[in-house]
Amino acid sequence: MPAVSKGDGMRGLAVFISDIRNCKSKEAEIKRINKELANIRSKFKGDKALDGYSKKKYVCKLLFIFLLGHDIDFGHMEAVNLLSSNKYTEKQIGYLFISVLVNSNSELIRLINNAIKNDLASRNPTFMCLALHCIANVGSREMGEAFAADIPRILVAGDSMDSVKQSAALCLLRLYKASPDLVPMGEWTARVVHLLNDQHMGVVTAAVSLITCLCKKNPDDFKTCVSLAVSRLSRIVSSASTDLQDYTYYFVPAPWLSVKLLRLLQCYPPPEDAAVKGRLVECLETVLNKAQEPPKSKKVQHSNAKNAILFETISLIIHYDSEPNLLVRACNQLGQFLQHRETNLRYLALESMCTLASSEFSHEAVKTHIDTVINALKTERDVSVRQRAADLLYAMCDRSNAKQIVSEMLRYLETADYAIREEIVLKVAILAEKYAVDYSWYVDTILNLIRIAGDYVSEEVWYRVLQIVTNRDDVQGYAAKTVFEALQAPACHENMVKVGGYILGEFGNLIAGDPRSSPPVQFSLLHSKFHLCSVATRALLLSTYIKFINLFPETKATIQGVLRAGSQLRNADVELQQRAVEYLTLSSVASTDVLATVLEEMPPFPERESSILAKLKRKKGPGAGSALDDSRRDPSSHDINGGVEPTPSTVSTPSPSADLLGLRAAPPPAAPPAPSGAGNLLVDVFSDSPAAQPGLGPSPEEAFLSELEPPAPESPMALLADPAPAADAGPEDIGPPIPEADELLNKFVCRNNGVLFENQLLQIGVKSEFRQNLGRMYLFYGNKTSVQFQNFSPTVVHPGDLQTHILSLAVQTKRVASQVDGGAQVQQVLNIECLRDFLTPPLLSVRFRYGGAPQSLTLKLPVTINKFFQPTEMAAQDFFQRWKQLSLPQQEAQKIFKANHPMDAEVTKAKLLGFGSALLDNVDPNPENFVGAGIIQTKALQVGCLLRLEPNAQAQMYRLTLRTSKEPVSRHLCELLAQQF
Amino acid sequence: MIKAILIFNNHGKPRLSKFYQPYSEDTQQQIIRETFHLVSKRDENVCNFLEGGLLIGGSDNKLIYRHYATLYFVFCVDSSESELGILDLIQRWFFHSLEHVGNSVVTVFPLWLSQIFEEEGVLSMHKVFVETLDKCFENVCELDLIFHVDKVHNILAEMVMGGMVLETNMNEIVTQIDAQNKLEKSETFIFQSPRQDR
Repeated sequence: MPAVSKGDGMRGLAVFISDIRNCKSKEAEIKRINKELANIRSKFKGDKALDGYSKKKYVCKLLFIFLLGHDIDFGHMEAVNLLSSNKYTEKQIGYLFISVLVNSNSELIRLINNAIKNDLASRNPTFMCLALHCIANVGSREMGEAFAADIPRILVAGDSMDSVKQSAALCLLRLYKASPDLVPMGEWTARVVHLLNDQHMGVVTAAVSLITCLCKKNPDDFKTCVSLAVSRLSRIVSSASTDLQDYTYYFVPAPWLSVKLLRLLQCYPPPEDAAVKGRLVECLETVLNKAQEPPKSKKVQHSNAKNAILFETISLIIHYDSEPNLLVRACNQLGQFLQHRETNLRYLALESMCTLASSEFSHEAVKTHIDTVINALKTERDVSVRQRAADLLYAMCDRSNAKQIVSEMLRYLETADYAIREEIVLKVAILAEKYAVDYSWYVDTILNLIRIAGDYVSEEVWYRVLQIVTNRDDVQGYAAKTVFEALQAPACHENMVKVGGYILGEFGNLIAGDPRSSPPVQFSLLHSKFHLCSVATRALLLSTYIKFINLFPETKATIQGVLRAGSQLRNADVELQQRAVEYLTLSSVASTDVLATVLEEMPPFPERESSILAKLKRKKGPGAGSALDDSRRDPSSHDINGGVEPTPSTVSTPSPSADLLGLRAAPPPAAPPAPSGAGNLLVDVFSDSPAAQPGLGPSPEEAFLSELEPPAPESPMALLADPAPAADAGPEDIGPPIPEADELLNKFVCRNNGVLFENQLLQIGVKSEFRQNLGRMYLFYGNKTSVQFQNFSPTVVHPGDLQTHILSLAVQTKRVASQVDGGAQVQQVLNIECLRDFLTPPLLSVRFRYGGAPQSLTLKLPVTINKFFQPTEMAAQDFFQRWKQLSLPQQEAQKIFKANHPMDAEVTKAKLLGFGSALLDNVDPNPENFVGAGIIQTKALQVGCLLRLEPNAQAQMYRLTLRTSKEPVSRHLCELLAQQF
Repeated sequence: MIKAILIFNNHGKPRLSKFYQPYSEDTQQQIIRETFHLVSKRDENVCNFLEGGLLIGGSDNKLIYRHYATLYFVFCVDSSESELGILDLIQRWFFHSLEHVGNSVVTVFPLWLSQIFEEEGVLSMHKVFVETLDKCFENVCELDLIFHVDKVHNILAEMVMGGMVLETNMNEIVTQIDAQNKLEKSETFIFQSPRQDR
């Protein structure tokens, strides 16, 4: 135990820490801490006023206790008292306590803010800096509200000391990051840009950090910074190593500032001014040249500083992506680093090269390093580095080297660290699919994947291989043969059994001619695995068996025997039991023809983005797959990614849940627990695509309705909104809808699907379907950033109900995950039941935290009364009769309005149909006019509606007349519809 | 931006933690544990970077760390920071903390160590210093950190503010700290009353 210094520092604190360290057990430690806490508490509460030194000592003790992970619930007041001391030491320790142990007690915050205000006004630079540090370290919204307006003033004031300016710049940056809305842009922005010319390098560094952040949202306000940054950079880069004195670090002039300036330049495109650009290119070349010079020092600090600049320079070159010469030089430089003895440099080189691989100028140059990278994958000791090597291989992969890279990655997979296996599996699966020229290679690769790392092969991967095999008839025979062989291994992974079972059920007939794989052999091979498998796999195998009965009538007796066995018919698992019973009946009751129709081969799957790709994106955030960007860049590779061109003639009817948003990150919508029987046959294999079900069972539409049947409103109020979406977001404190909400709502009056809302952070897509008085809506929340949203909680309320206290709309929401990863999409299902007519749409309130800052947004949910329209066809005679019946003045609503859109009869027709009513031909004597009829279905009542739209092309006007049995409904429908033309 | 700065020892005991984003006290402790778990299982002589743990934001963030003697110094940063830059920052901070604390607490260091300080000069002492610490005196720096938690925080505050690097020029930092020390000395001279201290 080294001597504790005496006379300096605080002895009591030292003794306390020594005591804690000498504690032999956790209990002893806790006991000692509790004793100390009691002691401090009594001192703080005691009548004797404590002097500043004692306060400081006790606060230090509390800090130490907090560091050890114990809650500190007192001492804040004493710390605040220290803030107003005139002694630097006391003030400083007070600030330290406050910034480590922030407390949200509002009274306390008021006192703290007061102390900060005094210090900011004190003109004592040390105190000002302490105060600025505190604001920056806490960075809360309250502090932002109190000080965001003052700090720009301090920053650009002529008489502020350099150290104060420096702190003010970073303080402002912090507040802007926490709550950008609080920091007003103004004339100070121009003066901040000129801080880049400041004499004091520290001020310049802080200003660069600030501008780098501000200019991302306001590029135009700051664009003059580019030329200033270039000239500053060029002065640093070309200076001799002694020029900048204190800021020269191990013979490298101002490395940190250089790095920051290069980062700032990456916020802008290459400078347009030729002179500026020339100067910049010269700088970049100088940095690249310097990298080749012999080091001025052997110290690692020297090479670190030099290389920090070099890597940032390369990033800028990659960002510009316009100077082929520089790109190739950068690539060569990185190539040297790939074999450097410093692990850090190898790591960074692999990482930079990954981005370089996606540039068309340097892609080829990157490819020349393939052997080095493969070697790194095999021999690096450090998993971080191996992971970067795998990323780079993925990024540099193209058709020319796909086979080599895929086989190397497969080999690596056998020994790969568990933590990254799943990712490698996804990458291999994607590359194999994307660059497959011959699909037997693809099938081999995926089966190898399952063999080597079956546990890490996610559902997406093996769904995908089934989709591809189903869609490509040239590979089906090969696939059947290969899985048959793979299944002969005595121990094979359950995923292999699933793939095997499915493929043999579909295409087993293609290999049945060979006596070694005759139908009975196939069946007994599969059935030998049956008892070792999980319920899901067994269910799949039962479906394979019924398919076998159709494909190979000779196996019928054997299979019926299996189905009839007590272990199947009386299986404890409902799903298995039901399948066994239904398949057995189907096989005995149905004629061969019916059987053949029902158990027909699966139709091809509709093409869409590979679900594996989506999964990788979800895993890694949007920046992940540079191969993704690659496919966008290179149109020729697109078709490969999809496997086959979609063939409309054979594709089944468009799925109601076809992905409208082009994003497939959400789990498949067919999530309801398997309702019943044969309808869900095989559905588990491709829950990705419910529309492409076989001819068996109810059509998706029917399934949809049957699911809708019981909305189960046991307690209607509870259904109104998700009971407690988050403790802080009860329905009461939902904000007002955003200004565009009405406009956004209008877009959805005549259609059910589309993008409801989009900003820089979030995209909300909607798909909905309505039948009678029921509706189901899928909301897709897409995180457009690369940062995870936290506390994500969407809530639906219907304020109309709150006003009238009559429940008109029951909305049942499912809770969604409270985290949305960067680039990911989550889906929320809403079940809606219209109980009676309503006028206001429900509100959707979305709250989440993005980078620590709370975000909230309220929209109108596109549920309007016309969604519950049921079109009614009727003859002219009936129409006129009903029209006359609704002749009371209040039953009619009429509007005459100017056309906002070109008057096109077809478009108008489509809109009216989208609105929900039937269009009746030959009713109106004037063929230019439109006449419609429908019934609005609510649970409580039905409202009959008749409508007539008379366009006047000359005047560019319309006259719209609505007649319904309920007055408010007439008016409301009339308003809704009038806005559509 | 720097999200958090953590120092813990070989057993995962936190010695300093500074978060530049609001986390609950519980989460803070969990992050320290998770980070320790990630960092401590790595061999010596591997690279100093790895992807961040889930709690601190997953693969969008990097952990940049150094292991000196008994201590791990970990910076958790987002993609806007230069890895090598941060690595140097840790080094500078560490040594200047020690140097500074060491100068003011002379008795902590044996005489021969101070001599090496002087002979080698301020800039080149680091390597020697680390090796010496590693071999003979491994507890010194750890104890220094916890006994002088306020000073270490102070030096850190001069370098990093609200998650952004404030100053990298050590002379500037030392000047600031010295000025503060002078203030402190003049104040403690009057106020300290070691007799009743406990």
